[in-house]
Amino acid sequence: MAKVVVKDLHKSYGDNEVLKGLNLEVEDNEVVCMIGPSGSGKSTFLRCLNDLELPTQGQVIISGYDLSDKGTNINLVRENIGMVFQHFNLFPHLSVLQNITLAPVQLKKASKAEAEKTARHLLDVVGLADKVDAMPKSLSGGQKQRVAIARALAMNPKIMLFDEPTSALDPEMVGDVLDVMKRLAADGMTMIVVTHEMGFAKEVADRVVFMADGLIQESGKPDDVFDHPKSPRLQDFLNKVINV
Amino acid sequence: MKKWQVAVVMVLAALGSWFSLGATAHAQTYTIATDTTFAPFEFQAKGGKYKGIDIDILNAIAKKENINYKLKAISFGAAVQQLSANQVDGVIAGMNVTPERQKTFDFSKAYYTSGVVMAVAKDSKVKTFKDLKGKTVALKTGTAGATYAKSIESKYGFKIKYFNESNNMYNDVKVGNSAACFEDYPVMSYGIKNGIALKIVSKQYDAGDYGFAVKKGKNAELLKKFNAGLAAIKADGTYKKIIDKYLHSSEASLTGETASSRTFIGLFTQNIGTIGNGLWMTLELTVISIILATVMGVILGVLGVMPGKLGPAISSTIIYIFRGMPLMVLAFFIYIGFPDLIGHGFKIPAFIAGMITLMLNEGAYTGAFVKGGFKAVDDGQMEAARSLGLPYWTAMRKVIMPQGIRIMIPSFINQFIITLKDTSILSVIGIVELTQTGTLIIARNFEGFKIWLMIAIIYLILITLLTWLSNWVQRRMN
Repeated sequence: MAKVVVKDLHKSYGDNEVLKGLNLEVEDNEVVCMIGPSGSGKSTFLRCLNDLELPTQGQVIISGYDLSDKGTNINLVRENIGMVFQHFNLFPHLSVLQNITLAPVQLKKASKAEAEKTARHLLDVVGLADKVDAMPKSLSGGQKQRVAIARALAMNPKIMLFDEPTSALDPEMVGDVLDVMKRLAADGMTMIVVTHEMGFAKEVADRVVFMADGLIQESGKPDDVFDHPKSPRLQDFLNKVINV
Repeated sequence: MKKWQVAVVMVLAALGSWFSLGATAHAQTYTIATDTTFAPFEFQAKGGKYKGIDIDILNAIAKKENINYKLKAISFGAAVQQLSANQVDGVIAGMNVTPERQKTFDFSKAYYTSGVVMAVAKDSKVKTFKDLKGKTVALKTGTAGATYAKSIESKYGFKIKYFNESNNMYNDVKVGNSAACFEDYPVMSYGIKNGIALKIVSKQYDAGDYGFAVKKGKNAELLKKFNAGLAAIKADGTYKKIIDKYLHSSEASLTGETASSRTFIGLFTQNIGTIGNGLWMTLELTVISIILATVMGVILGVLGVMPGKLGPAISSTIIYIFRGMPLMVLAFFIYIGFPDLIGHGFKIPAFIAGMITLMLNEGAYTGAFVKGGFKAVDDGQMEAARSLGLPYWTAMRKVIMPQGIRIMIPSFINQFIITLKDTSILSVIGIVELTQTGTLIIARNFEGFKIWLMIAIIYLILITLLTWLSNWVQRRMN
C-alpha cells in the first residue's frame, strides 16, 4: 500500500467548498510538489494530511492508519509526519536547541542527552551548528526555516510536509532552505511540498501535481507538466508564473 | 510543574485547617457581637481592646453567671444580620427593643433606657425640626435615631442619607453636607464632650430600652443567665459604677490617650500596634487571595481556550457571574447569605469568607485576561506543537502557556494592586484590616484627617513595594 492515500477528500468552510474531491497516492521515497494559484486549496489539502484540518468528507490513510477512524491515535501518526510551515512557527520562548529537543524529550523518544546530540547533528546538517544556543528572534528568516526543518527531523519522521516553506523568505535566503530540502530528497525522504518555486519542482520532484479550484487538474513527471501542459488551466498558470 | 503543585496543596491544607478551627472554636463558647463605634457603649481603646458600657456590663454579668464568650466587634448592621443568620449567639450593641425586632429576636430585660436627640453643627442655624425642610439629615443604619427620623421625614420634608459608622455621620454634619443627625442621647453627649464639634438642639424623643438580643427561640439559657446576672450587678452596685464611669468621665481617661499626642507623629506612635495588626491582616488577605485568584484565573483561562464547547461555556459563565457582582454584595452573600441558605448553624469565619470573596472576584478578572493572553498566542504555535506529535495539554503547558503568561504579566501586576486595594472593602464583614483599623481609631479620637492620611500613605507604600517587586519579576522573565 502506498505511504499516503487520499480518497475523495472534501473540505468546506460553511458554504464555501475549498476541496472538491481529491484523490492522490504517494509512494515511499517519492517527492511530490504541489503547484497552483493562491486559493486553490493546496495548503488546506496539506493540512488535512496531519489532521490540522478536519475533512468534511473522504479518507486520509497514512502508513495504513486511517485518520478518520476514531481508534487512530493522531499523536502517534503525527510523530511520523514532519511539518514545515510558511511562517516557521518556531517557539520564541525557547532556544534553538530547546526548540529541537522539546518534542523528542516530552514524548520520551530520547533522553535529554541523546536528544541534544541528535539536535546538534541536525543543526550541523542544516548548516547552523553555531546557532545552538541562539534565540529564534536573533535568526534571519532562512535560518529560522532551517531550524524548523531540523526540529521536524528530530522526531525521525517517515514523511515530511512542506507548506510554502520559502514564500516568507527574502530571495537571497531561499537557496539555503532549498538546498537543505534537496539533500533531504536525495536521502530518500518521502516529501509533499506545496511551493511556488518552479525551479525546485522541476529539479527535485518525482511528480508534480497542479491544483486549481479545489481539484487536482493535472499531474505527472516534471518534464511533462512543465513542458507539455495539457489543460488550458495549467497552460494559463505557467504562462503567468514563468513570464513574471 | 511540581513546585506549583506543592504550593496548591499547601494552600488547600491551610484552608482546611482554618475551616476546622472555625468549626470547633464555638463548641462551648458563645460568640457575642457588638458594634465597633458606639461610644460610650462600645469603642476601641488604645491598643485595640474594646471598652464601653455594653462591654463592661457583659463582662460583669458573664463573671457572675460563668458565661464563656468571645466578643466580635463588627458594624451594627452586620451584627444584627449575623444574629438573624445564626452566625453569632447574641448581640449587645446599644440595641433598642422594638416590636419589629421582637419578631426575629428575643430580648433581655432593659439594661439602659435612652431617647433620641437631634444634633447639628456648632455654628448651624437649625434649631427645630421645621428648619430641616429641604435639607439632608444623616443617619446611622439600624439605630433608634434612624427609625425616629424616618418616622418624621415626610412631616418635616427633609432628605435622608445613611451611614454605617457613627463617626462618618458626625463628620458629614460637621462639614455641612448634612444639616443634622439623630442619635441616642448618651452617645451624642459623650461624643460632644470628647471633641465632636456638634451641639444637641432637641429634647429626647422616643425613649426606648436597650436590650441584649438572641435569635428568637434560640439560646434561651444564655438569655436567662443574662437577666439573672443583670439583676445581680444592679443589686450589688456594679451596674451603677459602670454607668458612672462612662457617662461622667472624659474619653482620654478611658482610652489612655493624652491631648499632647494629637500630632501626626504622636498619633502614629500611639496607634502603631493597632495599625500594624491591621496592616498584617491586609497583607495576609492580599497574599493569600492573590495566590488563590491566580490559581482560579489560570484554570478559568485554560478552560476558556479548551477545544469543544463545554470548557469555554463554564469559563465564560463563571467569569460573567463573579465579574459582574459588586465585591461588597459578594462578601455579604458569602458571609451572611450563604450560611443562612445552608442552615444547621453553619458558620464561616470572616477571614475565610473574605478570602473566598476576593478569590472569586479577582479570579474572574484574572480568568478573563488569562484567556485573552492564551488567545493572543499565534495559532501557528499550537499547530507546530501538535504536528510534532505533542498531545494538547503538553503543547498547552510547554508552548502556549509560557508565551501567554509573558503577555499577561502587566495585567497580573495590575490585578495584584487591585486585590490589595479591594481588601479594604472586606471591612464591611467585620475584618479588621487596615481600613477598618482607621475607622476604629477615628471612632475614639475623631482625628479623621490625620488618620486617613496615615492609612492612605501606608497603602501607597504597599503599592509602591508591590510594583517594584512585580517589575523586578517582569525584568527577570524577559
